[in-house]
Amino acid sequence: MGISLSKLTEKTNIWPWLLLAPLGIYMLIFFVVPLAEVAIMSFTEPKVSLANYQKVLTGALYQRVFLNTFVTAAFVTLCCLLVGYPLAYLMAHSKPRTAMLILLLVTMSFWTSFLVRTYSWMVLLGNNGPLIAFLEMIGFDKPPQLLFTRFSSTLAMVHILAPYMIMNIYTVMKKIDPALIRSAESLGARGWSLFRHVYLPLTAPGIANGSVLVFVICLGFYVTPVLLGSPREQMIAGLIGHQIEEFLAFGLGSAMAMILLVVTLIILTIYHRRFGLDKLWG
Amino acid sequence: MNTFMRWAGFIVVLFIAAPLVIVVPMSFSNASSLQFPPPGYWLGYYRAYFTSVDWLIPTWNSILIATATTILTMALVVPATFALVRHKFRGKGFADLMMLMPMAVPHIVMAVGYYSYFGDLGLVHSHLGVILAHTCLSVPIAFLVLSANLKGFDRNFERAAQSLGASPAKTFLHVTLPILRPGLVISSLFAFIQSFDETVVAIFISGRDAETLPRKMFDSIRQEADPVIAVISTLLFFVVLLGIAAPYFASALRSRAPKPSRPAAAH
Amino acid sequence: MTNYLQLSNITKTYGHFTALDDVSLSVDKGEFVTFLGPSGSGKTTTLMIIAGFEKASGGKVQVGGQSISELAPHERNIGIVFQNYALFPHKTAVENVYFPLQMRGVSRSKGLRQAEDTLSLVGLKGFGHRHPKELSGGQQQRVALARALVFEPSLLLLDEPLGALDKNLREQMQIEIKRIQRSLGVTTIFVTHDQSEAMSMSDRIVVFEKGRIEQVAAPLDIYHRPQTSFVAAFIGESNLIPATITSGAGRTAENSTLGAFQYAATDILADGQKVTLLIRPEHIKLSRNPIEGRKNVRMIVETIVNYGDNALVIGRAGDIPMRVRMLGADVVIIREGEECCISWMPEAVFVITK
Ligand SMILES: Nc1ncnc2c1ncn2[C@@H]1O[C@H](COP(=O)(O)OP(=O)(O)OP(=O)(O)O)[C@@H](O)[C@H]1O
Ligand SMILES: [Mg+2]
Repeated sequence: MGISLSKLTEKTNIWPWLLLAPLGIYMLIFFVVPLAEVAIMSFTEPKVSLANYQKVLTGALYQRVFLNTFVTAAFVTLCCLLVGYPLAYLMAHSKPRTAMLILLLVTMSFWTSFLVRTYSWMVLLGNNGPLIAFLEMIGFDKPPQLLFTRFSSTLAMVHILAPYMIMNIYTVMKKIDPALIRSAESLGARGWSLFRHVYLPLTAPGIANGSVLVFVICLGFYVTPVLLGSPREQMIAGLIGHQIEEFLAFGLGSAMAMILLVVTLIILTIYHRRFGLDKLWG
Repeated sequence: MNTFMRWAGFIVVLFIAAPLVIVVPMSFSNASSLQFPPPGYWLGYYRAYFTSVDWLIPTWNSILIATATTILTMALVVPATFALVRHKFRGKGFADLMMLMPMAVPHIVMAVGYYSYFGDLGLVHSHLGVILAHTCLSVPIAFLVLSANLKGFDRNFERAAQSLGASPAKTFLHVTLPILRPGLVISSLFAFIQSFDETVVAIFISGRDAETLPRKMFDSIRQEADPVIAVISTLLFFVVLLGIAAPYFASALRSRAPKPSRPAAAH
Repeated sequence: MTNYLQLSNITKTYGHFTALDDVSLSVDKGEFVTFLGPSGSGKTTTLMIIAGFEKASGGKVQVGGQSISELAPHERNIGIVFQNYALFPHKTAVENVYFPLQMRGVSRSKGLRQAEDTLSLVGLKGFGHRHPKELSGGQQQRVALARALVFEPSLLLLDEPLGALDKNLREQMQIEIKRIQRSLGVTTIFVTHDQSEAMSMSDRIVVFEKGRIEQVAAPLDIYHRPQTSFVAAFIGESNLIPATITSGAGRTAENSTLGAFQYAATDILADGQKVTLLIRPEHIKLSRNPIEGRKNVRMIVETIVNYGDNALVIGRAGDIPMRVRMLGADVVIIREGEECCISWMPEAVFVITK
């Protein structure tokens, strides 16, 4: 090879295109085209019209599912924040040993398959599970149904998505200069006001990151709501799957998928403008 | 505020930990349905897992598909990452963004697309179909890890090698690749796990013939909640524990700090 | 052999920005030349063009009479030491040093032996099996040097090689590098920010500024006879006084506030020419009263910085800021805020025409 590296790095040459081409072509064939197919089907199945969108946007069932999805995603995000913030704090401000153990735990949870964690909640919340047993012990004659309710799917989603929140907040907390806190204290900030006016604003980027991530994943969440949720209170991904698998209603399914996609992309675009998309998965 | 945070933190620790460990005793249970605490213990479900074709074939399929996906992903991503990190050209910002797109699109949307598209191509219910789809979904993770590594790569290593008489090809082989190896390994690992864990697309396109482990688990949880799932969960739990603990131990030995964070996927 | 390395009219542009503007330089075989200049002045760029990592926009590079402009970096046989050493982290010290020999097809056993020898030359006998991160900064520096020398390069380029070392180690390495360079007789270009380093090590110094060469000369010439006011200001401490030649033949110039000056012998300059007069702070004497036979000027003392062995007195003569170096023990004669007399001999005044 007689080509020098300096020639390789000249601004206008074909090298980057050559290197990029295989992936580019691949993504075109196996990413863009399938996505385009969804878009096309939403307008053409079963016949060319806007009927699918009309139905999806005005039908009471669909509206309820959309609303349910949004409310659930927002609620899960909020819960993840409430659960994640203290834990991230504990990780960031404990002795190295404790911090390390918690980090290990969160990382474990992070890497454990969604399915495994969903299954665990099935055991925990099942009719023969420990929680029901506990409720019976403290005097419930007929304990409420926990599994296959909005409660069980929300709880499991919070558990599954919390690590994303925790990791994002923890990363930010870790970077806070202790001297900054000390100097704020020396200026008279204490307790709640120190937290509100100094600590919380400093961790805001982590909160924003984690929240966007959790919210967006939750919007399109399929596995857990389908397995643990109430069949009567589906979320959008579940309904899409249902339409496709049960009724082969590709048009309707695609229209819903497109709406889900557009909403997701709008959120991520706003995020991208402010922070840059590559930061999200940090 | 401090004490409150600490107490809240410890309760959350319990919340996070309980569902992770509960599968372990469950896997040794002799109950035929989900019952906790188990009425008695045996190894029957382990035997069931390791002797049942219904479970072993999906396991094997998953390993096969994840391996092929990893290879294909790396073959595509490595050159592309070099192009995107090392070169300036028009449309680079757009290309950067496109690399991340499969992560931004909800998997259920991709699943609908693949279900119909691969149906047209005759690729549903085939290993190849799943591999092709998974490769797409693994690209962003592999790219993120690798590009972070490549950005941190000091070009002076390559300059030094060339000044010492190594041609560009030899420089790549003797210097660039070995120095980038940890990044390549981690990037491949992420691609592998992404594929191995991927559920939604697999549910829609893998069919009976290319059934993956997550799909089998999903179906089983949905239908009969086969206790074998607890066995698989336990095995996966220990694989993850081993995978995370290994670098910790290695780093304790070599006293180098690990960075156990993982780019997430939109499942 | 003279003109061993020859740079002719090198220019380098990045878009509209000119990083190097008509740089010409010739270096003799075995010479130790230092590139000195402020950040961004083009030192590294010049080095990268010599090494072949950057392509010059114009001009050519010759080594031993042959143009090397068309050669790829790996064909140039030039050893380089980078500021961060760029030792290959996956290879041991001796494998790093063996690398260039390996690339030249030397067998492993022979190459490793040769590498060990070179490591001994730089004082690292017995450290060969260590990986770079198991070596101290100074030791890594030596490995990098050995690696750049083991294949007997036609040129040795060092880009701020001592920048990352602390002061003591720097001085030690300066001596070491100089010793090795002398013993091997390798033609060397050394880039540094540090003028004392440049002064102590070089046969000649090349001063860069804004992509141009300001001056090429031996260290003492650079110090005592700077060609431009930039060089005068950049090297060492200086008092620069704008003036106009009143009599070229009589070697007098005049500054509007300080009056007439005698200056040291130079070529005869045209009357009325605008010049800058350089007086080094250590050539100025500070006293209470004027001293006979010298040019005397009154100065208000503003700040005194005492370093112990010597002291710097900063003040103002009219509107011109002046600096005076004196012995630390002598500084008691004056206090901040007082007026005093400063004086110098005509030989201390050097005329800069550019
Ligand atoms: N790839 C590039 N693109 C655009 N400008 C560049 C590039 N490389 C260098 N420059 C510019 O060229 C000028 C000279 O840079 P160079 O690195 O040669 O300076 P230097 O003298 O080595 O400085 P330092 O002492 O800080 O190392 C600088 O202004 C720099 O910004
Ligand atoms: Mg430089």
